[in-house]
Amino acid sequence: MSEAPTYQEMLLRLERFWADHGCVIQQPYHTEVGAGTFNPATFLRCLGPDPWRAAYVEPSLRPSDGRYGENPYRFQQFWQYQVVLKPAPEDVLAVYFESLRALGIDPTAHDVRLVEDDWEGPTLGAWGLGWEVWIDGLECTQFTYFQQLGGLELDHVTAEITYGTERLAMFLQGKRSAFDLVWTEGVTWGDVFRENERQWSVYNFEEADVPLLVRRFEEHERECERLLAREDPLPLPAYDQVLKCSHVFNLLDARGAISVTERAAYIARVRHLARRVALAYLAGRPVPEEDHADAAA
Amino acid sequence: MPTLLLEIGCEELPAAACEAAARQLPELVGRHVPGGGESLVLVGPRRLAFLVEDVPEREDDRVERRRGPSEAIAFGEDGQPTKAAEGFARSNGVPVEELERADGFVWAEQRVEGRSAAELLPEALARVVTGLAFPKTMRWDASGLRFARPVRWLCAKLDAETIPVGVGAVPSGGTSQGHRFTAGDVEIADASAYADRLREAGVEPDQRVRRGEIVRALDDLGEWHDPEGVLAEVVHLVERPLVLTGAYDERFLELPLRVIETVMQAHQRYFPLGPGRFAFVANGGDPDVVRAGNENVLAGRLDDAAFSYARDVERGLDAMRGSLPAITFHARAGSFADKADRLEELSGLLGGGDASREAARLAKADQASTMVHEFPELQGFMGAVYARLAGLPEAVAAAIEEQYRPAGAGDELPQTAAGRVLAAADRVDNLTTAFALGERPTGSRDPYGLRRAAIGLCRLAVEGGLEIDLAELVRRDLELLTRQSAEVRDDPSDVWDFVLERLEGLLDVPVEFVRAARASGLREIGAVARLATTLAAEADSEAFAGAYTAFDRANRLAGRADGAAAALDTRLMVEPAEDALVEALAAAGPRIESAVGAGDFGTALDAAAELGPPVDRFFDEVLVMADDAAIRANRLRLLLDVRDAVGLLGDLTQIPR
Repeated sequence: MSEAPTYQEMLLRLERFWADHGCVIQQPYHTEVGAGTFNPATFLRCLGPDPWRAAYVEPSLRPSDGRYGENPYRFQQFWQYQVVLKPAPEDVLAVYFESLRALGIDPTAHDVRLVEDDWEGPTLGAWGLGWEVWIDGLECTQFTYFQQLGGLELDHVTAEITYGTERLAMFLQGKRSAFDLVWTEGVTWGDVFRENERQWSVYNFEEADVPLLVRRFEEHERECERLLAREDPLPLPAYDQVLKCSHVFNLLDARGAISVTERAAYIARVRHLARRVALAYLAGRPVPEEDHADAAA
Repeated sequence: MPTLLLEIGCEELPAAACEAAARQLPELVGRHVPGGGESLVLVGPRRLAFLVEDVPEREDDRVERRRGPSEAIAFGEDGQPTKAAEGFARSNGVPVEELERADGFVWAEQRVEGRSAAELLPEALARVVTGLAFPKTMRWDASGLRFARPVRWLCAKLDAETIPVGVGAVPSGGTSQGHRFTAGDVEIADASAYADRLREAGVEPDQRVRRGEIVRALDDLGEWHDPEGVLAEVVHLVERPLVLTGAYDERFLELPLRVIETVMQAHQRYFPLGPGRFAFVANGGDPDVVRAGNENVLAGRLDDAAFSYARDVERGLDAMRGSLPAITFHARAGSFADKADRLEELSGLLGGGDASREAARLAKADQASTMVHEFPELQGFMGAVYARLAGLPEAVAAAIEEQYRPAGAGDELPQTAAGRVLAAADRVDNLTTAFALGERPTGSRDPYGLRRAAIGLCRLAVEGGLEIDLAELVRRDLELLTRQSAEVRDDPSDVWDFVLERLEGLLDVPVEFVRAARASGLREIGAVARLATTLAAEADSEAFAGAYTAFDRANRLAGRADGAAAALDTRLMVEPAEDALVEALAAAGPRIESAVGAGDFGTALDAAAELGPPVDRFFDEVLVMADDAAIRANRLRLLLDVRDAVGLLGDLTQIPR
């Protein structure tokens, strides 16, 4: 790696690479998500029989991972580069390794390995098998073959490739702190986000209004049910309500407002909604109210 | 005879899948491959393979015997074959006169020519592939085939001949793959050349060789450690092991060494080489580049751990203890603060002193620490570190550290008395809580590790010499749980049986002696164990024979009969043998009781043995089932009293004689 790409150059190369591999290059979703998997371009598009390829940057919000901008490895907001390939092509790993070459990583000079990682997203009723990809010991990508989403067996197995952009850039630039990453000439990642981390950590851990959040969760849940119960259901807007519920739940968790029992119950409620949305999305028809069978996952 | 190769080419398999395949392949090959005797099994992250020598080129011919119609239908009254017999003979290709007659039916024998290896292997090998079972499986394409990870190629050769194997949509041929990044396709011209071809292509296919290479290279580096046992996994994380070393900055040595080692092992699968250095196993790459990268990653991980550690130290153990009410121990049994209160009380009942009680109060404080949140395997250890930093007595810190011991079958017991008390209290509480909440282990389901907890409790009593009056502890713990408003739904008193069942596997005596001792009424684990051991040691002695006779004869008759009197009435005794037995019982009974109470089971057995002869004489001279109901009832009572006196030594009839 003679010339390490800047953070934004790295993202541009990924965009170029996956555009060349037939992906729809999307933009981040407008609603808070914990991971690129929650973006409807993954969760909904990976249901059903239609082929789909997409790639996008996703700001991933994990309120309880915030460290007030003081820890160079933990953030309440980080950026994933998400790729979904449906159905998973036979040479998907070879293509992924090709993408590393596009970033300037020569796999023969480095120790690139796939280490078992079974992924589970309980709020989405989703699971898959795959790996963490290690480059010289650094976990920089999660690779998953989805098996279930919304508790439903998938018609076609999607390969999901999630690059941890900060870690990858730290590797490329040889930095020990994400705050020191060169975003572009003269601007660091820290310049862009450190204050953001501090303020949001204060909000997530100390300021977020618990009774308000509890109320919001219930409102979004009701709204989701209402949109699904229509004669002509609206699974797309309903899904946004699922995302809202999920994020509110994460905030409540960060505020320490949820006991272990309540935690499991909240997760089950979100999973239930996700499953109903998935069914409505697939069926394009009203979902009977009595379908309360929950996800198996 | 030819050599057979099958290689199942996969995307990177988990280590557990490699090992599952290595265990199953010999049996699957034996079942499906004709003449499939000894197979050489080679497993690694990208391939599961086996080689079998001397595969017969063709199956043996065999004779199949088929049953036809009954003789009555096959032959007419004239003894001539009927149309039914002729039809049966024809369909089996034999002349009707060659039909055999046996067991009331006619039979046809047909010679079946054995198939050639090339004919039968495609199906046989497909069965081997689909016969493998893994802890977790997945689909990856429209074929719906399930495997631990996607199968991307099959390579099957019988000597130089390629055997096509049809499994899912997987391409099958005579080509393998070398190292993922440094080699491409590898033609396997002949089965026996398989391992050599792969070695030329940067892959060591034999897991034993890889393991040997790794261990040798680590040995060459001097002293290396593998506290979490990652070696077995590392063998299956690489196809061509490259053992390298790295260093980390001395400033991290402010962290406890065990924290550094946990970070290395849990996250990175490194092997600690003593302060400041580590070894790791790569799958290739430029050693300097790979080393630098790994050193950087470890520094980052250690920075992160140091950040968490500093936060914890700043907060202090007492503050952590203070936040336990907010941390749930069990959704229906309250917080870790509630648990700590129970442990304090149980520690007192277990004979613990001030150090034990203080350790119990603080035992779970580290559940509120950032470090334990990040590294659950460091629970106990971190608590002890923070206790020492807080200036608490060493006995308290050591007990906090040792509370989870023994963690498994081979693990050591706590070294300190306070540690043993706390370890026992924690296990009693885990068992009581789960049983009271209706969460007993069932079958293979034991999410809270209660069987392990029960074994640990037995070992603390037997090996650790701790007096564990289990029934009383469970009773008291239940009271505390109830008072703390836990959602008690079951009576947990069967914790006793659950724990004592583990004793059967733990003591070096036949299980019958443990079962006999469990029925003694003793309620302290160590005492039951010592009684079982005494009974086993004395099994061939005269004393045992005497006690056994007294118990067995008395129990056999009176134990099953109805109508025993409530109490013995000496006025109803008429036979001298009755008087003799009553006298013997009056002499022996109190001595048995006091010796059992004192744990002197040898003496108790000697006293019980004195009842043998008078019981024998009683049965010789006295008719128990006398016509007079009052006398009969009195005699039954006497026998029951004898049984109960000897029964303080357990149910001796459990022991086969």
